Parts: sequence; structure tokens; C-alpha cells
Amino acid sequence: MAVVRKLDHSIFDAHIEGQAMNVEYLKRIFAWVAPHKAIASLSIGLVLVASTLAILLPVVITRVVIDGVILNQPDALLPDFGTNELTAWIAGVTGWSALVSACVIYAVFTLFCHIFYHAHRVTFARTVLCALRDMRHDLFAHMEHRPASFYDRVAVGRVMTRITNDVQAMFELLMGMGMLIGEFVPFFLGLAIMLAIDVELTLYLMIAIPVFGLITYFFRQATRRVYRLIRNTVSRLNQNLQENLAGMQVVQLSNREKRNLQTYREINSDNLKHEQQAIALESSYGAFMDNMVNVALAVIIWIGGGSALQAEISLGSVILFSQFVDMFIRPIRVLGQQYNILFRAMASAERIFQALDWHEQIKDPEHPIRLPARLKGAIEFRHLTFGYDPGEPVLHDVSFTINPGENLAVVGPTGSGKSTLIRLLGRFYNFDDGTIFLDGVDINQLTAADVRSRIGVVMQDFHIFSGTILDNISLGNPAISREQAIEAAKSVNADSFIEGLPQGYNTVLVERGQNLSQGQRQLLAFARVLAADPEILILDEATASIDTETEQVIQQALKTLLKDRTSILIAHRLQTIQEADRILVLKHGQVKELGSHDQLMALRGIYYTLNQLQFQEVSLKEDIT
Amino acid sequence: MGSLLRLSIYLKRYAWSFWLAVAGMLISRIFEGFIPLFVKNGIDNIAAGQTALTSGSIDYQSALNTLAAPAISIVICVLIQMGTTIAYRIAMRRIGVIASYDLRNRLYQHLQLQGPIFFSRHSIGDLMARAINDINLCREILAGAIRMTLILAMTALVGLTFMFTLSVNLTLAILLPMPLIGAVAWYFSKKIYAASYLVQEGFSTLSTFVQENLNGIRTVQSMAQEEREIERFDQVNQEFADRNLDLFNMTSFLSAIMPILAASGTLIIIGYGSVLLERGEITVGTFAAFFSYLALVLWPVREAGSLVTQWQRGASGTARLFEILDYEPEIQDQPSLDFPEPSGRIQVQNLTYRYEDKEKYALEDVSFEVSPGETIALLGRVGSGKSTLLRLFVRLLEPTSGQIYLDGHPINGFPLARLRERVCMVLQDPFLFADSLSDNIAYDDPNRDHQEILEIAHAAALEETIEGFPEGLNTVLGERGVTLSGGQKQRAALARGLIRRSPILILDDCFSAVDTETEEKILSGLKKVRSQATTLLVSHRVSTARHADRIIVLEEGRIIEMGSHTDLLAAGGFYANLEASQRNRLDLVSRLDEAAS
Repeated sequence: MAVVRKLDHSIFDAHIEGQAMNVEYLKRIFAWVAPHKAIASLSIGLVLVASTLAILLPVVITRVVIDGVILNQPDALLPDFGTNELTAWIAGVTGWSALVSACVIYAVFTLFCHIFYHAHRVTFARTVLCALRDMRHDLFAHMEHRPASFYDRVAVGRVMTRITNDVQAMFELLMGMGMLIGEFVPFFLGLAIMLAIDVELTLYLMIAIPVFGLITYFFRQATRRVYRLIRNTVSRLNQNLQENLAGMQVVQLSNREKRNLQTYREINSDNLKHEQQAIALESSYGAFMDNMVNVALAVIIWIGGGSALQAEISLGSVILFSQFVDMFIRPIRVLGQQYNILFRAMASAERIFQALDWHEQIKDPEHPIRLPARLKGAIEFRHLTFGYDPGEPVLHDVSFTINPGENLAVVGPTGSGKSTLIRLLGRFYNFDDGTIFLDGVDINQLTAADVRSRIGVVMQDFHIFSGTILDNISLGNPAISREQAIEAAKSVNADSFIEGLPQGYNTVLVERGQNLSQGQRQLLAFARVLAADPEILILDEATASIDTETEQVIQQALKTLLKDRTSILIAHRLQTIQEADRILVLKHGQVKELGSHDQLMALRGIYYTLNQLQFQEVSLKEDIT
Repeated sequence: MGSLLRLSIYLKRYAWSFWLAVAGMLISRIFEGFIPLFVKNGIDNIAAGQTALTSGSIDYQSALNTLAAPAISIVICVLIQMGTTIAYRIAMRRIGVIASYDLRNRLYQHLQLQGPIFFSRHSIGDLMARAINDINLCREILAGAIRMTLILAMTALVGLTFMFTLSVNLTLAILLPMPLIGAVAWYFSKKIYAASYLVQEGFSTLSTFVQENLNGIRTVQSMAQEEREIERFDQVNQEFADRNLDLFNMTSFLSAIMPILAASGTLIIIGYGSVLLERGEITVGTFAAFFSYLALVLWPVREAGSLVTQWQRGASGTARLFEILDYEPEIQDQPSLDFPEPSGRIQVQNLTYRYEDKEKYALEDVSFEVSPGETIALLGRVGSGKSTLLRLFVRLLEPTSGQIYLDGHPINGFPLARLRERVCMVLQDPFLFADSLSDNIAYDDPNRDHQEILEIAHAAALEETIEGFPEGLNTVLGERGVTLSGGQKQRAALARGLIRRSPILILDDCFSAVDTETEEKILSGLKKVRSQATTLLVSHRVSTARHADRIIVLEEGRIIEMGSHTDLLAAGGFYANLEASQRNRLDLVSRLDEAAS
């Protein structure tokens, strides 16, 4: 009995609200940024330069143009960061007037400031995009290797949103962090300049920071709840509509229209109520942040003006302060926006890491045995007992051997363990060592990939990948040339219908493959496995209805497929069973009978009874379709 | 663009809010325009005070007092501006959300009136996209685009008015580069829109790829294709990253070029303003105020481009939404005033039906009669018109010509709800809602009592299923609950129809996943429960059809055989052949089960 740990897959369904900050997650996220450290540092360096230039622009206007040129009262005591000297130097070298020189400085500073900003943004975006591309790659690759037992229990949609939407939330988070850098650097530079000019006035203005900060905090707290309620009602609305659309005929035939509309209206009203709450909050907060900052202008006129009158600061400095006003609360606003993003991002991060940390896998041997280039194709099952859940075995002590080139038909009622048998052979689940052998080698000593490249599996449902017919046959394997793929299709008689399609082998198929019939899908599945040319073939014969003509074509193709190949067929059709070398009867996970048709008939057991019933493979529905 | 006018009903409905909002916008803009003016006054007063203090004509306190008026005025302007801004934003956004609320209800109600033809044209995904995205776009137009357009226009107007009052010459000079700035913004906002569309498209390609891959994960793994799939994923992933980067480059470039171009305005103020200042045409305060006004005027110039795209997107969203809302339902409920209580007597007269996109008739000139209490079995190949015929009985489809009568009255004379209550149809596809089993069975009327539901479940051979459930009848079905097998689903759907005890019951091949034995058990049970009722059923099994009073065989939309089991066997046609071929043919799997037990 294989050791199967009971794993709780329900966490993939769990709804995660998330916490604001999880340093552990942040550290892990930065692991993807780390390889791009150089370009990230460059980006931060660029924003420092750009911000410095941005801060100097109003200094040029106020200290050079207003104080120096217009009022002609440059105050040497007040800091101007060398802009006056620079103007004088340019004027001296070129012979231009001070005003023209100042204009030139302003123009050049502006130009470089925005070039650097641009370079910063572009490099930063590149860093983040590359990091997330890698994260997405790692996540996808990880999920691609989770075993069948995982996908048996977790819905595809839940895995998909982790790779798509949740990684996208990381994008918002990281870009937001970049934005914070872009806001905070000029903030501190500006603050330094203001403090250097007038400490008292700056301190008065700084009262705004805690006030606006607190208001932003409370606003975010309040809106978080409302936004969550809005999200809930919106998703309920969508679910309701979606379900109603899917079952519309039932709704109409049951006269449920009014009642359902009533339910929908109720959710919609709920949504409206919360939307209106959000509007009241958002509008008040937005207007407050947009406008209240201008009160600072009054403070500057009053207090700054007072200082100017006492000649402590220049008139230019007063104007300079008025230009810095906006910069003062921007970081708070941006911080507030980031707060919500942070919550969502942390929830997403939790989901991403949950998936990445999910280590359920098919055990691969540490030192795998390499199989020879070509197998003989002998298979042995030796006392195999297996169950998906511990304590509930599906197969009991199964032992039998298949000789190279032999065709074995497996028959048995639903739930007898036929499908499990072939899934194990494909190494889709973990089972005990020393129970299944390929040419005498324990297949647990081989890598899953090696086993699967030797064993071709044709399942009942042929999965179509979006792409051409050719892509679907070769699955993009470079070892399979176009000619080989077409040859495979010809061998299984799929050629004629493919050539009949508008673009032949280049016809594009869509995932659900509505443009192909059951029989055509079956033939394509044959072509796919034939092109891969495995030494061993496993086939789960389709039970679905196929018209008699196609049926003949398929039986023909099957013969080609089975020729000189060890094969196990889960048979549903009499013809298939009769043409097999040996027949294995499985019931309740145990081997009941095994032998050729004649041997089993002589045994007068289950198979005999079966035959006595004169069964025929054609299901009832097909007779009239 | 015409579709946008359809949204004007919401502006009319909330005309008071709307016009008050417009007034609020104007007031807020005007007071916003006053603020730089008072700052200018303050600065001029400081300058004058400095001069006066130097000459000693005034003391410090009186000079400081001249600053009080501008400072207080600024605070007043800010408060008024804030108050009006809050008011108009709330008013406009409210109109937006109320409109989206109303549009959602309208859409929902409208969709419920549509028939199968409509739903074959519009997939659920398509309709969901309209319900989510397009209604949002409508809301954005009402709450966002209209407001922004008005505000931008007013801001420009107010800004220019104040500037012209202060200095005509300087204003004219500043306006010079504006057309260029506007044109650049316009050009880039178009390109950015296109780029962001590509990003969205890239994202959906990525999602589709992942979904498709995971759906086929077993095939991928069994063919050992994981690494190749990862490689293919990398291409899609890289493409998405590249498109994002393109978009970022473009938006970033726009954010860089805009202030560079705007700097021309600043340079004009510095250069030309200084000249004017020297000439005494303007004061230092005016000089400073122009920097603020420049920002005010630049804003609309910058935003115009993206606003236009917002209008365009809104217009196409509105058009898509109203395309659905304007679609005339295929089935019109126009009952006549007098209609009888159906007894179960049906006459079908020259019934013909052709699907719009097909040339061949699905039904051609079909006529027959059914007496109350009779059971009719319909047989025929796939596509012979069985389902079409059944759907016509409950008016999911309207006949091209011909008519169905219940007790002599044409069925379109009955109110639709009454018709569907009296003629109950169980569909081929057993769709169940993600509710409890009992909610699903009592779907037509949630107030039915437990005992009744249990009884019907019994008649539909569901008792074992219910016993096996953790919470019996109250067990929730679907993704988050238990999953039923195909046969269980069909029986639950059957129970949903049976509970209505309608005089006419129509079963569209709803035993296909139920084994023969259970089917016979249900059918014989049915006879007892519904002794007086008329039943029409489609089946593929002769074993089922033989129990019917009469059998109708359809072929290419026409009746080719009609009569009792023995009559048709004697006639030696399609039915007789079918019977012969089915007599000894039994399903391998079920025989195996039998043989093994």
C-alpha cells in the first residue's frame, strides 16, 4: 500500500482577506527582483537626480528671477543652491542678460529633469515586468508539474487566477512602491529647502502632515469595509446573472422570472446602497485633499509675509513656499492609495506562495535508471495494491505479466479499477516500489518523464489544444517533422477527413473542438500517439456513440496502432476484445480471469457468461442515429 | 455616438441633481480661480509693505494687517470650493450609480424575455461582458466623462477670464504654445489607448493559454510535454511583458514631454513677464499668479485627448448594451381574454418550423391529436425534429406556420405563465442550480412543503440519492456542494417537472443517463401519479416507447409512422426495424455488471 498523505486541498478554495503587511512575503517577492538589482539601483539613482532638478526649478524662478533679476535684492544668506552663481557664470561666459541666462537654466533643468524621470520610470517598469515575468514562469512551471492527484481535487480556475490575476496584483504593488519613491524623494528635498529658508513657517505647514495623514488613515479604514461590501455584492450579482443565463430555459419554463428578478433587484439595491456610501466617502475625502491644501497659501501669506516684512526672508522665498504647497500632501495621498493595494497584494501573495509551496508530486528517484533506446515492451504487475485515499484500496494484490508485443484487453464493470490500472502505469500517482516493472525494471526507479515517453496513452477524451491540426498531432515536438505527422495521420486513416477541411493540416482547432466529430477526434488521438511512436500503448476505448462507417475506420486504425506494440486496451467493443491476444477480467480491483478467448470460454466464468449473453457492442442510441 | 443620447434619460430623470451639480461646478471653478488672485494680492501687499517699511512711512503691524484680507479670503475661497466640490461630485456620481443600478435591472428583466434563438446568438460570456463592462462604461460616462468635460471647459474658461483681466498681453503670449501641447496630448492618448488595448488582449491570451493548458494537463503530462508547454507559456508571458513595457514607455514619454512643452509657457511668463514687469504693466503678484493660472489652463489642454477616448469607449459600450436592450423578444405574451382550463386535449395542425439560418425545415406540416390522459412517445433520428416539436408546445419557439390548440384554443392565446404552468416540460439537459436539492425540486414555488417534495423525489427514484447525502434534501449541489451523476441530475430535473402536477407533461429524452431498470420503475410510477394527465415523451429506447398509448416516428421533420406498439410492429417500418435491432442488444457495461454479480 502506497503511503498517501492526506492533503487538504480545500485551501485553494479558501477566501483570503489578507493582512496589511507581511514582511516574509515581501522578502520572498523581492527574491524575483534581486536578479535585476543593477537596473533597479540605476532606476533609483535616476529618480534622485530627477527629483533634485525638479526641486531646483521653482528655486530658479523665485530666487534667481524674482529675487535676483526682478527685485534685484539677492539675499546671500538664503540658500539658492548655487543657482544665482550659475546664472552669473552663464551670463559672464555668454554675455547674455541675467534674465536670459535664468531662462536657459530653467529650460535645461526642465529638459533633463524629465528625461531622467522618464528613464527612471522606464527602467523601473522594466525591472518590475521582468521580475513578474519570472515569477509567472516559476509559478506556471511549478503548477505544470503538479500530479494528477492534485488536479483531481483542485479546480483549474483556482489555479489559473493565481497565475494571472494574483501576479497582476504584485505588479500593482511593485509599481506602487516605485511611485512612492518618486513622491518621497522630492518631498524630503523640498522639506530640506524649506527648513533652510524659514524654520518657523515650515513647522507651521508641517502641521498639515499629521492632520492629512490621520484623515487619510480613517478614510481608508472606512472605505475598506465599504469596498469589500461592494465587491461582494458585485460578485453576487454576477453569479446570479450567470446562473440565471445558464439555466434560462428552466427559469422560463418554471415561471420563475419574477421571483428571480426580485432576488436580483434585492442584491442590486444592496449594491447601490454601498456604492452610495462609497461615493459620499470618496467625494468628501477627494475634495478635502484637493482643496484644503490651499489653506496653506493663506498661512504662507500671513506668516511668511510677516517674515518677509521683517526682511527675514525675501519675497521670492514666499513665492517659493507657495509653489511647494502641492508637493506637501502628495505623498500622503499616494500612501493612502497604496494602502488598499497593499491589502489586495498581500492576499494575492498568500495565494501565490500557497501554490508555490504546494509540494505534492510524483516521487522521482534520486538516481534514476536510464532505459535503453528501444524497449522490448514487457510489463509486469507484482502484488500491486493501491488506493487514492489511505485505507480505501481500489486495486488489491494485482499480479500479471504482458509479453513484448502482446495485446491485452481489460474488461470489467464500472469501478472495477480499470482506469486506475492504466493511470498507475503512466506514473500519474505514487505507489509502492517493486510493484510495476517495465522490461524487468521497477518503474519507480525511472523518471516519470522517461516512463511517459515510452508509454503512449489514448484517453477517452481527446484534449485539443488551440492550434492547427498539425500542432495537435505533433504537439510541437521538434523530433516529429511535418511529414512524419502527416504519415501518422495517413496510417490511421485520418488523412481523408483532414484533407477535406478548408485548410487541411493547417486548419486551426479551438479548445473544445466543436468543429470535429467524436470519431474524428478519436482518429486524431490515434495519429497523435502514433506520431510519438511509444513502445507501449494504453488505450481507453471511447464509449461514445460513433456511426458505423467511422467505427469501421477506427477499428482499422486501431489495428495499425497495435501492430508490433505491447498494448493494454480498456475495451468497450466486442470486436476489440475478440482481436486481443489475451483478456483480463477485473472486478472489485482484483484479477478474476486472465487468458485467451478460448481459455476463458473453457473456464466458464464471468467472461463466458458475458459471451453467452450475446452482447453486442453497439449501444442503443446509435441504432437510430 | 447616437447611442450616448440614450443615456440622457438619466440626466432628465435626475434633472434637478444634474443642474445643481453644474451650478456647483461653476461656483467651485470660479472660487478656484480667485485663489491665485488673492495670493497675488498678498504678494503685492508684501512687496508694497517692504517698500513702505524701508521708507519708514508705515509700521510693521499695519503692514502685516494688509495681509489679513487676502489670507482670510483664501480660506473662504477654499471652504466654498471644497463644499461645492463635494456636493457636485456626489450628485454626478449618484446619477452614475443609480443609472447602472437601473440598467442592470432592465437588462436582467429583458434577458428573461428572450428565447433560444437569442441565446444561440449571444453566448453567456458575451452577455456577462455586456452586463459587467458595458454597464460600467455607461456609468463612467454619466459619473465621469460628463463631469470631466464640464469641469475642464469651465476651468479653462475661468482661468482665461482671470488671466485676461490681469494681463491681456501675457495671456495671449501664453496661449501660443497651447495648440501644440493639445495636439501632442491628443496624439499620444490615442496611441496609449491602442497600447492599453493590446495589454488587455495580451492578458486574456495569457489567461486563455493557462486555462487551456490546465484543462489538458493530463494529456500534457502523459505525453511528457511539460517542458515544451512551459516554453510556449514563456512566449506568451514575454509577449505580455513586452506589451506592458510598450504601454509604459508611451505613458512615461507622455508624462515627460508634457511638462517639457508646458515649460515653454513658464519661460514665456519668465521672459515676457519680466519685460512687462519692468515696463510696469504688471506687478510681482501678477507675475507669480500667472504660474498658478498657467497650471489651471494646461490641465484641460492635457486631458482633452484622454477624455475623447473615454467618450468613444463609452459610446461603443452604450451601443453594445442598447443593442441587447432593443432586441425584440421572439416570444410575445399577448393573451386573449378568454381561455379555458386545459384538460389535456391537444390538436397539432399543419405545424411547420424553420430555423432562421437553415434552409431545410425542422418540422414540416405536422398534424396529430392527443386525447386527455394519453401517453405519446416520439421517436426519430437526431435532427428529425423531436426537440423542436416539443419546444413549440411551451412556446420556447414560435411556429413558422400552423398552430397548436389546447382544448380548441390556440396556445398563444394563453398567458405565457399560465401555459407553461399547465404544460410542463422537462428538458434534455438537466440543468440544476447551485442551491439545495429541495430548492431545485421546488424551483417553481419555494413555499412547497417538505412532505410533497419528498413524495415527488420518491416518484423520480431519488430516495437512495437523498439518503446518501450528508444533509438529505437540504444538501447543496454544484461546485461548492456535492456533484451529482448524470442520471441523478436527470432524475432531479424530472422531479422538478413532476412536482407541478400539470395536466400536460413533456419529457425531452430525459432518461438517457438513467439505466433501463430505473427508467421503467419511474415510468410505471408515473402512470399511477398522473393517471389523468397527458404525457409526451421523446426516447431512443423501444423498451420505453412500447409503454406509450401511441408512438409517433419523425423523419426529417415529418411524421412517417404513427400508432400503437403492436400496430407499428405489424406495419414493418422504421419502428419495427428498430425494435428488431434493439431486442437483443444490451449495453456491454451493464451486462458485465450483471454477469459479474
